[in-house]
Amino acid sequence: MFDQSLLTKSKAGLSEIEAEYIAGSLIKICPPVSPQQTNFEISKLLAEQRDLVSIAVIENNKPIGLINRNYFMEVMAKPYHHDLFDRKSCTTFMEKLPLIVDQNMSIQTLSFKVLDSGSKTLQDGFIITNEEGQYLGLGTGEDLVRVVSFLQAEKNRLISESINYASVIQKSFLRSSREDMSTVMTDYFMHWEPRDKVGGDYYFCKKFDDGFFLALIDCTGHGVPGAFMTLIMASFLDQILLEDNRHDPADLLALMNKKVKTSLGQVAPVAVAGEELDSFNFTPVGQSDDGMDTAFCWINTQENFLIYAGAKTPLFYLPEGGEEVLTLEPNRKGVGYIDSPMDYEWKNQRLELTKGMCVYLTTDGIIDQIGGPKKIAFGKKRFTTIIKENYQKPMLEQEDIIMQAYYEYQGKQRRRDDVSALGFRI
Amino acid sequence: MTDLYMAGSADTPEIDFKFSSNTLEMSGEAYPENGVEFFLPVLKQLQAYLKTLAGDSVEFNFKLTYFNSVSTKILYSLFELLNEYAKANPDSVKLNWFHDEDDDTILSFGLDIQEDFPWIDFNAIVVA
Repeated sequence: MFDQSLLTKSKAGLSEIEAEYIAGSLIKICPPVSPQQTNFEISKLLAEQRDLVSIAVIENNKPIGLINRNYFMEVMAKPYHHDLFDRKSCTTFMEKLPLIVDQNMSIQTLSFKVLDSGSKTLQDGFIITNEEGQYLGLGTGEDLVRVVSFLQAEKNRLISESINYASVIQKSFLRSSREDMSTVMTDYFMHWEPRDKVGGDYYFCKKFDDGFFLALIDCTGHGVPGAFMTLIMASFLDQILLEDNRHDPADLLALMNKKVKTSLGQVAPVAVAGEELDSFNFTPVGQSDDGMDTAFCWINTQENFLIYAGAKTPLFYLPEGGEEVLTLEPNRKGVGYIDSPMDYEWKNQRLELTKGMCVYLTTDGIIDQIGGPKKIAFGKKRFTTIIKENYQKPMLEQEDIIMQAYYEYQGKQRRRDDVSALGFRI
Repeated sequence: MTDLYMAGSADTPEIDFKFSSNTLEMSGEAYPENGVEFFLPVLKQLQAYLKTLAGDSVEFNFKLTYFNSVSTKILYSLFELLNEYAKANPDSVKLNWFHDEDDDTILSFGLDIQEDFPWIDFNAIVVA
């Protein structure tokens, strides 16, 4: 009999769980019959043992067929059939090609085999043998479904546990930035909402004597691979951001670009003699092409100016009493990708900061989200309009308003990307 | 050359490349888990197709409403192919850029394409 307790006691890892459950785990000990036994004997057996769904027929220990209760009872109930067949061999009405599987077959392979062999096998069950093809017992479709559901649930549990923990790690990486933010800014919000608990969006803030460095980063991908990238980028940024270059975001972007390209080997493919160079400037399957879109800012709090350099990430701002949201446009080149040249230079833009001015950064998660009645992107215009109408409110309140508008716009549409937005008032 | 048709799904676009009539169309959304795997065969076919042409005019109807960053890079490769062809055969490639009147995201991406691929005849079309 299939051991139900197995379903609860397992605490194994993913691959162990798969190895632990094999066809053999499903064996029900069902005494088989031999071809010498008659249909009369089978009728008697079925009448005595009400829970028998199928009976295996074996010859020299090898299975040769499977008798199904319902089918057998049905044919035998036909007029004269008892008289005609009672004394004949029980092989008369057996299924001659039942599904026979080795006890070591994985549950996954078994599931596909059972499905392939049609709904009959799901009802009748299948025969399980040892390595020599000798009969061991029967497996039922019901037990198979039970084990498959359990394995599925168990895998989901393991994956979500590991993602939950990955999220703890990613958040702890953000902690020092969060702490620095709270000391350098008074009225601000930092909204960080990965699509899948962890993600490729990231923020960075570091305090210095004369100001602070701020970055909002959107690494390639989302989920676990995206989160890997954020950790790589965060450690690179930590290494290159030094006392002497913090005032020069464009230079920092160029340094990051070189560092990412070199360490991930993301340089343009070189033609090897005799080999045709793939003319596409993205790399075919197998090689990584990862990088980030980002806005790097140096904010000088003593002389009140901001230096911005952007890789596909604009900076929005609005002076106190301003009528329109203004934009510092980024360079249209991401950082670190194969098609970003090794010596690419981003440009610095300087913004004089006036009292009460509001500054905002966001990754493309909000602006590119599909939604609304027309199922089109949220758009920059919608974003800047919300800012314009609400910028005099406290930043935390603005965060709520922006995110509410976003959630409402998204409606029932799938979330497309990680979402991050940051705003602060001078 | 046989036409290429691929039905769209939630995260992959519908691709309708009628090579026989030199009309290519892409619609829907593009954010597949592995963009390169999805698009590489499409680009290879487009490349092979362009090689068979002798200066014929090609019309590309672009109707995507969303594409993620990986797909964006691949689209650049696609327009690069068309741009190269148009460079060798001036005035041969027309790119019809369909966008909703309120869709500033798609339009501004289109304007970037127009700037980056000067040989392609770019034509923004507002979808009513």
